[in-house]
Amino acid sequence: METGRTTRIVLYAYGVLAICFLYLPLVSVGFASVSQARYLSFPIRRYTIEWYGEALDSHTVSSLLTTSFTIAVIVTVISLVVGFFGALAFARYQWRYRNLFQKFILLPIFFPQAVLGLALLIWFNSVGIIPSWKTAIVAHLVWISPITTLIIAIRAYAFDASLEEAARDMGASTWTVLKEVTFPLLLPGVVAAGLFAFLLSWGNFPLSLFTTGVDSTLPEWLYAKMVSGYSPLVPTLGMLSVLASLAILFAAFLVLILAKSFKQARGTE
Amino acid sequence: MAAEPVLRLKNIVKKFGAFVALHGINLDIRDGEFLTIVGPSGSGKTTLIRLLVGMDSPSEGEIWLNNSRIDKVPANKRPTCMVFQSLALFPHRTVGQNIEFPLKIRGVGAAERTARARELLELLRLPPHYQEKRITECSGGEKQRVALARALAFDPEILFFDEPLSALDYRLRKTLEKELKDLHARTGKTFVYITHSLEEAMVMSDRIAIMREGKLEQLADADGIYTRPVSRFVAEFMGEVNLFDVEGTAQGGLHGRGVEVHVNGQMEDIGISLGQGERGTLMVRPEFVRILESSGTSDFIVRGILRAEYALGSRIQYEVEAADGSRLSVEKLREDRYQGAIGDELVLGWDLDSTHLIRED
Repeated sequence: METGRTTRIVLYAYGVLAICFLYLPLVSVGFASVSQARYLSFPIRRYTIEWYGEALDSHTVSSLLTTSFTIAVIVTVISLVVGFFGALAFARYQWRYRNLFQKFILLPIFFPQAVLGLALLIWFNSVGIIPSWKTAIVAHLVWISPITTLIIAIRAYAFDASLEEAARDMGASTWTVLKEVTFPLLLPGVVAAGLFAFLLSWGNFPLSLFTTGVDSTLPEWLYAKMVSGYSPLVPTLGMLSVLASLAILFAAFLVLILAKSFKQARGTE
Repeated sequence: MAAEPVLRLKNIVKKFGAFVALHGINLDIRDGEFLTIVGPSGSGKTTLIRLLVGMDSPSEGEIWLNNSRIDKVPANKRPTCMVFQSLALFPHRTVGQNIEFPLKIRGVGAAERTARARELLELLRLPPHYQEKRITECSGGEKQRVALARALAFDPEILFFDEPLSALDYRLRKTLEKELKDLHARTGKTFVYITHSLEEAMVMSDRIAIMREGKLEQLADADGIYTRPVSRFVAEFMGEVNLFDVEGTAQGGLHGRGVEVHVNGQMEDIGISLGQGERGTLMVRPEFVRILESSGTSDFIVRGILRAEYALGSRIQYEVEAADGSRLSVEKLREDRYQGAIGDELVLGWDLDSTHLIRED
């Protein structure tokens, strides 16, 4: 059909444009990181990977990566525990203040992060806590825990409550029900929430800026270097950060596939 | 059948705030019987089964299983099992893993569990390779059987069923009703079944308990419920029925609106009599009503006009409008089909022995 074909071409073009719009800026960072010139201009005259070598050798860089990674890992773990039980309270159980809880848990997401960061900084100061990467963890948690709660809650809403009752009826204790039924069924939500938590913490700038004190995360350093003392190390580290995110995504994907094939292998044993 | 009850309910009351869901239920469930609890939605049958299973505890009263009181024992500590309305099969486990679940919880070894699962698959007439099948790949009927196998796995004392067939299509439901009855006979276990369909109850049960507004209205076998209901509610609950308000006469007979009574004397002998001025309800099922020749006689007679005819498959149902405007239904087997037309004037009659008198307070 003539019209069908035109529509298809338009749709393809639209898709390609959207993807370019989203990813072209990232590609330019990639180019900037492999250019020998101090400032990016096309065409690039001389390619080099020396900045990557420098980045990997640098103590500053490794300490930045360590700080960002530590924060992200701890935030992921805590926000998953909070989010898991929060989601059960959010979606599965009827209790007196549930309505209120459902609304309050969402508020931090809608709060502008800069304001949230400032509020937390003032609060840390007033109770006498010196800001460091540890306080940044608290700040990230305030913003990320509601998100993990929501993601897991979506999964919990689709959950048939009679599954837990049936397990109990067949003799399972509360702990066994959680381990054998609730957790496995919410696992896809937990994995998704974990990825979100890690990546949102890893890339977070406004909250970190206010609450890390003398410590610095990767996004903070990128910003500081852009403002004063740009070198191609900035796009290089930016690229490294993106690559790290991709690696995490890829690893999660791999784990899911392995888990599935492992399960199948065990099933056909 | 043993006389000693396996499960005994003593004056069970359940309140939710100010709302009383169960008003003092007394019920003895016999060992090995198939008892069905029937009631419309809101009658308290689901509340009752939740108490029996242990997912909730009664506000008042006692539940005794054999010689131990269990109304405070949680569900996971009771030797009973329920098949849920949703079946509650674990979607993340295979058929085999589902069946083995209650055994795994009890610490039964893997080899023994697998063997038991295979045994149960055979009992439920599912092929052995289903052990590896995913729950999501099973059909509705297969899921039913898997749920039954899982419920039987740890050899519970009593099996409860919470309307497990209600979501299925008619044909499959009919097949599974018979399978369930057959399974009951083969396992010899006590089955307690909940449904809102009296028809389903009649096919399967040894005894039927009818619930209404949190009370037990009648407890009898299928025949008793069908032919001798204690109330209009029970009579009307089981499909079509013709009911007439009647009153006792001074001569010991009955006088009713819209119905001619042509019997005298013998009424007392079969219990169809009322004291003078006492009110009752006369009941006759549609299949007992005959279409008479205009000169024919019968113990009870109603005259009316044929208004409609419905084909019910093997039977034909006729709707007759009586002189006072009330409607009667008559059912005939297809082979005994009435040969006239809509609008015919009919004389309907039935005998004393197919009539039942309902006395209500």
